[in-house]
Amino acid sequence: MAESSLNVLLKGNTGRNTRGLLRIIILGTIAAAAVSSRLFSVIRFESIIHEFDPWFNFRATKYLVQHGFYSFWDWFDDRTWHPLGRVTGGTLYPGLMVTSGVIYHILRFLTIPVDIRNICVLLAPGFSGLTALAMYFLTCEMSTSPSAGLLAAAFMGIVPGYISRSVAGSYDNEAIAIFLLVFTFFLWIKAVKNGSIMWGALTALFYGYMVSAWGGYVFITNLIPLHVFVLLCMGRYSSRIYISYTTWYALGTLASMQIPFVGFLPIRNSDHMSALGIFGLLQLVAFADFVRGFIPGKHFQRLLTTMIIVVFGVALVGLVVLTVSGVIAPWSGRFYSLWDTGYAKIHIPIIASVSEHQPTAWPAFFFDLNFLIWLFPAGVYMCFRDLKDEHVFVIIYSVLASYFAGVMVRLMLTLTPIVCVAAALALSTILDTYVLATPGPNPKAKVVEDASSEPLRSARKPDVGVTSYLSKMVVTSSVVVYLLLFVAHCTWVTSNAYSSPSVVLASRMPDGSQHIIDDYREAYYWLRQNTPHNAKVMSWWDYGYQIGGMADRPTLVDNNTWNNTHIATVGKAMSSREEVSYPILRQHDVDYVLVVFGGLLGYSGDDINKFLWMVRIAEGIWPDEVKERDFFTARGEYRVDDQATPTMRNSLMYKMSYYNYHTMFQGGQAVDRVRGAKLPAEGPQLSTLEEAFTSENWIIRIYKVKDLDNLNRDHGNAVAFDRGHKRKRATKKKGPRVLRTE
Amino acid sequence: MRPTSALTALCGLLLSTNSFVCAGSTSSSSTVTLPSDFKPAQVFKNTNLVRNTNLEKSYLRETINVVVENVDKQAQSDYYLALPSDLYNKVGVLEVRDKSAPEQGRLDVQATEVDTSRDYQYFIVRFSKPLAPKAHITLGISYSVLNSFSPRPAAIKQMDRQYLTYSFSAYAPSAYTTVTQKTKLKLPSTNVPDYTTTDLKSSADPERLGTTYTYGPYDTAKIAPGTSYPIIVRYEFTKPVITASLLERDLEVSHWGGNLATEERYWLRNNGSELLDHFSRVEWTLSSYQQLPSSSIRELKYPLKPGSVDPYFIDDIGNVSTSRYRPGKVPSRDASLELRPRFPIFGGWNYSFRIGWNNDLSAFLRRAVGSADSYVLKVPFIEGPKVSEGVQYEKVVVRVILPEGSRNVRWETLEKASSNGLPSASQIQAQLSDHKTFMDTLGRTALTLTVDGLTDEACDSQIVVTYEYSLWDGLRKPVAITAGLFTVFVAAWAVGNLDVSIKKR
Repeated sequence: MAESSLNVLLKGNTGRNTRGLLRIIILGTIAAAAVSSRLFSVIRFESIIHEFDPWFNFRATKYLVQHGFYSFWDWFDDRTWHPLGRVTGGTLYPGLMVTSGVIYHILRFLTIPVDIRNICVLLAPGFSGLTALAMYFLTCEMSTSPSAGLLAAAFMGIVPGYISRSVAGSYDNEAIAIFLLVFTFFLWIKAVKNGSIMWGALTALFYGYMVSAWGGYVFITNLIPLHVFVLLCMGRYSSRIYISYTTWYALGTLASMQIPFVGFLPIRNSDHMSALGIFGLLQLVAFADFVRGFIPGKHFQRLLTTMIIVVFGVALVGLVVLTVSGVIAPWSGRFYSLWDTGYAKIHIPIIASVSEHQPTAWPAFFFDLNFLIWLFPAGVYMCFRDLKDEHVFVIIYSVLASYFAGVMVRLMLTLTPIVCVAAALALSTILDTYVLATPGPNPKAKVVEDASSEPLRSARKPDVGVTSYLSKMVVTSSVVVYLLLFVAHCTWVTSNAYSSPSVVLASRMPDGSQHIIDDYREAYYWLRQNTPHNAKVMSWWDYGYQIGGMADRPTLVDNNTWNNTHIATVGKAMSSREEVSYPILRQHDVDYVLVVFGGLLGYSGDDINKFLWMVRIAEGIWPDEVKERDFFTARGEYRVDDQATPTMRNSLMYKMSYYNYHTMFQGGQAVDRVRGAKLPAEGPQLSTLEEAFTSENWIIRIYKVKDLDNLNRDHGNAVAFDRGHKRKRATKKKGPRVLRTE
Repeated sequence: MRPTSALTALCGLLLSTNSFVCAGSTSSSSTVTLPSDFKPAQVFKNTNLVRNTNLEKSYLRETINVVVENVDKQAQSDYYLALPSDLYNKVGVLEVRDKSAPEQGRLDVQATEVDTSRDYQYFIVRFSKPLAPKAHITLGISYSVLNSFSPRPAAIKQMDRQYLTYSFSAYAPSAYTTVTQKTKLKLPSTNVPDYTTTDLKSSADPERLGTTYTYGPYDTAKIAPGTSYPIIVRYEFTKPVITASLLERDLEVSHWGGNLATEERYWLRNNGSELLDHFSRVEWTLSSYQQLPSSSIRELKYPLKPGSVDPYFIDDIGNVSTSRYRPGKVPSRDASLELRPRFPIFGGWNYSFRIGWNNDLSAFLRRAVGSADSYVLKVPFIEGPKVSEGVQYEKVVVRVILPEGSRNVRWETLEKASSNGLPSASQIQAQLSDHKTFMDTLGRTALTLTVDGLTDEACDSQIVVTYEYSLWDGLRKPVAITAGLFTVFVAAWAVGNLDVSIKKR
């Protein structure tokens, strides 16, 4: 009885409904898992914006919510890059902020009092749930197996490669961009399959959204043309491709040009030229296809050859001429660094100084993708077996993304979706093959059946081979074990590697309870509460966004890094002697200087460890005044103890880091716990700056720039006078040194 | 049409209109304007005046006990209370009681318009019944004055002791002739490096006894009212001068949740001596290790009602992790929220933050006797941290957010035999408004009470709010949400049934 009712549920029309409902429930659960696995940091710490860039996005979102869309669009921010300012409205991708703003206003309309901060914190987890859904749709287009989509959705939901950029609080462009990326690809596949203008237009719509959200849209801009190009080369031109591509390109380019930051790039930048080229090529192919119907074969061949040569020549010459004349911008530096990993280090140190722009270490692939990484090639192979248009797409995407992921750590993010698709294809094929395999039409059995005699035992009930229960069990159970390990690994990685806000540090008390080291916010809040609203704060650019967001004070440089010279100026001020730095500080109206010092706590991400990048960037602009070599000892060591070079010891950064540090040790020798160095007994002296605030664990040190001396002395003399030293005669004769003997 | 506005209209039709009645004591609240050369008629004589000046806290508390005699031929009921102009605006809570009958509550006091051309400004004290000629009345006048001390030196080193100065007149300000008077100063410590000595009487003036300095008694029958004799004391006060330039306090009543949610937003400032050099972390670490007294705010202990749950302490950039909460025991022991600001707050430094917690509503709300739909809410007006040096509040805005649809809101402050720290109800500005939150259709009734110049003496004061709230009011939200969802479903169904295809199916 029970079995028959189960049959009713599983078969026929009701069965389809049941399966549909089950699928919805599973997808809902996957989305919930995707969201909840990203909440580690909220539970452990609090609902806080993480790291650096998110603080800017958060600040911009607050500006949008407070001042409305139009003033956001025209936002000139005079509180960053002092004294230059930044045309923020025209130099950001507004998609993220607008998305949060829309959500905020909808909730406000429903009179649900949600803080904009909480929307920003939870946006990334929320969108990761949507990404899982989009992944389901995309994979369902690739495979007829119903399990592939669900598997891919589950993989996408919890894979660390994606979680790394979308934990709660990581309010960055990638938070929504990956959803848009996957969904745009889904729509594109749909458009290619159906040749429908609607799907093509939807692709363009979401492409426009993607452009508004993330600079990585260029990946789509190049991948779709490449897909079309490969299809053309494979001789698969069809009206479907023509319709979908032209619709996407025309509408999508128009949509992308609406973003001020993108503007005319789609027709003037080399990065976008392939899309334009394929658009033209497609017209020619379509024309040729059209003409072929009217002209006999031989003439057509000749016509085609001349046409190709002429058009190709004209296009090439045009491109070269336009590039040389400057109408079309050459490839951007970031683009070059994709092909030559050493390029950035030589030419653009500022890009190389960011850790996420480093080449990926091999273990990172396993760390971020676990067993998906070895299912991935199998999945790609599956695509070759059944080479439809959409499978070509998967193959191209895999190849390109694999390469990029190897070049730059952060591009692991673009690889992750396709790895999930391919792995799900492979795994679902394995599962389908083994779980659903039935004894196929066995010729022997047929014969036996025909004879209607006793069938052979082996034929009736196979004990070995793929259809046996044993093999089914072995395969399914090992897959289950792999999946369980995958879940455990993902949870572990998420919990340990990707869930630290980095604004707040956690440590353990001796009794095992959690102790929170909150120095950043302590110092930022001090700045916010106890300095004038327009006090300019100079710090290395890493902290610019945080100062803008948390301390609400104008900064000289920030993580936007649009002006290398300005950053180099800060680098020069930090790496020069006080006499050189002070005029720079005065010229830039600096009131406070902020440095990060981890020596007391052993916090390794501090400014002394980043100091060489400051030196390098400054050296790039002032090679005569700042020299990296001078900061290394004769033996080529980078030291901070009494062996440190004079240049190092006289640099402003060194002085600010260690000023008064030795007094903390009450006569004992001061130790820098990060670099394991014993510091000189005599601490550095500062004459043009005075210590204004030091946080509890000394992580943040804030100095106030002294005003000009009232008596028109230079600060060195004034400080020496205050300390009771006699003023050194300027005209002291320097005789030959004599060895004193007493 | 937008669904919620439609709902609002719907609910509005179903409801009787809400009538807000805001009734405190609606007695004379406006100030009186006096002519610029105004001098009160000399109809009274202060036979004896004793002024107790308390400098132990970071604000001034003064109690003047004065025996007043009517020297006029007619019965008089308006007694003019003179205060120097610079003090007048800083006076926090002023309270005048008839000492012979303190249980009758405070006398009606009316403020007058400030006229800067005069040296003295006046309050008008109205006796409950006119004072007959030759009759006496003993008045107990008590008031607190905010920001009345100034640190001297104005800037000190981080570990130095802090000194405050207070200047006043040896003769208590009065509009009438005073026969004898004396002033008792209560200082917070025995370390008083500077104080004025006078030769107004034969023996040593002031007389010192421990931390009490007594100026007088003086025989001032011949001295015209309004004469001043400046006196300055400078005393050690190595404690923070905690000033809240603004305190916003929200009390949100939820009948459905049975919850009273409190949130307080503080804008704190330390009005003590500023730092001469900048802040030194080394010195601070040493001094907090040795528990030395400091003029900075290191920690605020905030007592909460027993049974308070879910406390939080946040500021503009998130949770302040340096706080601790010790839950109390339900009937008697108070819970304690130990707030440590992110950084010690030295003189001239600011710190703004917000704290909040939840309480069980049943401890604060009663159904009114005799009426099913009428409720009485009794809540503290302010709570505030408990510190020995006291806290002064320059402005306090208390908002009581009642459930959606509450009507006939009345409020009053609870009077006691002694001062409750609050000004009389006529000096509290009250306002009713709508507060929309959590899917409200009409908005909740919010009663906003604004007071200038409170001190932490008001911590124990209570306000009582009565309002009407029917069962239908309680059901409004579920009905509204159901109707809203229903509208969405119907709309979705209707849209889904539209055929917009171009080709014929």
